Amino acid sequence: MVARERLVPYLFLLPALSLLIMFNLFPAIATLNESLHANSLSSNRRIFVELENFQRIFNDPVFWKSVRVTLLFSLLVNPIQVSLALALAILANQKVRGIAFFRSIYLLPVAVSINVTTIVWGLMLDSNAGLINGVLRLLAVPAQPFLTAPTHALWSIIILATWKGVPLWALFFLAGLQGIPDSVIEAAKIDGANRWQLFSRVTFPLLRGVLVFVLVADTVANFLLFAPVLLLTQGGPQLSTNLIMYETYRRGFVYGDLGGAAAMLWVMLLIVFIVIGFEFLLLRNR
Amino acid sequence: MTEQTRFLTTEAGRRQRIRIRHRQALLEQIIIYVLLIFTAVLMIVPLLWAVAASFTPNEKVFEYAYPFSWRAFLPVEFTLEAYRNLFARGFSRALLNTFILGVTVVVVGGLINAMAGFAFARFEFWGKRFLFIFTILVTFLIPVDLTAIPRYILVRELGWLNTWQGLIVPGLASSLVIFLFRQFFEEIPQDLIDAARVDGASWTRLFFIIILPLSTPVLITAALLLFLSQWDSFFWPLLVAPRPELRVVQVEISNATAEYQTLWNQLLAGSMLAAIVPILLLLPFQRYYVRAITGSGLKE
Repeated sequence: MVARERLVPYLFLLPALSLLIMFNLFPAIATLNESLHANSLSSNRRIFVELENFQRIFNDPVFWKSVRVTLLFSLLVNPIQVSLALALAILANQKVRGIAFFRSIYLLPVAVSINVTTIVWGLMLDSNAGLINGVLRLLAVPAQPFLTAPTHALWSIIILATWKGVPLWALFFLAGLQGIPDSVIEAAKIDGANRWQLFSRVTFPLLRGVLVFVLVADTVANFLLFAPVLLLTQGGPQLSTNLIMYETYRRGFVYGDLGGAAAMLWVMLLIVFIVIGFEFLLLRNR
Repeated sequence: MTEQTRFLTTEAGRRQRIRIRHRQALLEQIIIYVLLIFTAVLMIVPLLWAVAASFTPNEKVFEYAYPFSWRAFLPVEFTLEAYRNLFARGFSRALLNTFILGVTVVVVGGLINAMAGFAFARFEFWGKRFLFIFTILVTFLIPVDLTAIPRYILVRELGWLNTWQGLIVPGLASSLVIFLFRQFFEEIPQDLIDAARVDGASWTRLFFIIILPLSTPVLITAALLLFLSQWDSFFWPLLVAPRPELRVVQVEISNATAEYQTLWNQLLAGSMLAAIVPILLLLPFQRYYVRAITGSGLKE
């Protein structure tokens, strides 16, 4: 009886944990293993090739271009999304009539999948006859090659990712803002703090934890962005939107070089860690 | 008396101060509403246009967008042509597939994640901390897309490519959902469990008859997260189940961008069908969803 009793928690854990170990933990470890092996989609033979996969991708100019594009994208999209998300959260935290209605509207982009976002924005950003160019024409601005010029395409991806991303991250800031006790705000007001002082000296420092979380989580999410590139630009024009995640997919599943793709994922993981390290450094408590 | 002291001390000055304060408050309200409406328009315009265009004859979709006309937001020549053609193409198959996938993962995944959460919340056992850190925390921190290649190879070795198992099984266990269940079950009073144990209830009985019926809020949250994760999943089904009969909604609408390139109203109709389900689920249950995702991120 007692021995059976001891088994109970393990039996409760068994189904979920064995699946997690098999399909999540094991693949995480195997990614490294994979990057050291030659493997192809067509055959099951595996050869240990040491660092050959890494050498191959490091000698590939397309890969380096992809790293540069990904870093540029990360440098642009994350600060834009995080600051707009904070601004939106402050706006959605105003205690005015009808605010619940506005918050529901702000939830719409969160509910819509990235594929739907991509399709709708892709058609709106059409270089010839898209809605955005239609509106620009009203303002006497010439039609822009949003998805067809190397100067514009990355920005188009930033715009659509931002439309979907900002309301999501704003939810976290809003939760943080609502966690600040009213008494703290009141006390600062009684001490004569004006609006800017209230934000910069009270609200913002209290949101630091949320800010770090959102910045890191947003950075990771944007490194994984894949669908807009696949559906709209296929990395082009002239590789200007060839983000690493897409390059990995192309290498692994279009060209069948899974070893190279796995090696690329490792390099990407390393880049993610370096960027997150920088972000922590930037936001560390002074 | 100077101008300034009169303003500060007399009755007329007091009224003037109140007036100024009122005017400031009013101005502030106006600015807030202008910003609220402006951002709401930014969020809603793409969807409004997409909905209107999906009810518009295909050749008119771009006519009203460029040059821009208000008709872009109102389907004046209302037609169900896009939806009819979409279903004639077999879009209902993708919808059905995704529902089957979502419901299976909600039922089976919800159950096994709840059991694991319960074990972590209410039992003391050898290896608990180790198991928690190395399975739940580690898998929570590593994004699944980053490890897709070995998972793909594993599923291929199992012979599960282009099968329901390949789609469903890897998505059942979720460290986030286990985490949420654990937090909820930790709050259940020990007395309740002791009382049931004294009455001779087995752990299984206790879990199914007493604990689960008490757990509606966390069950709603878990169901919502699991269903939406399957409804939105794209990368994994794209890799493991390219067979047309197994296509899910997100894969179907993405294929549509290549397969029926210039049938814009159908493309948008499919997108709106893909969007309406999560919207209808999220709006009434937003409280559960928001608390779950923000709570998981912000608790340190």
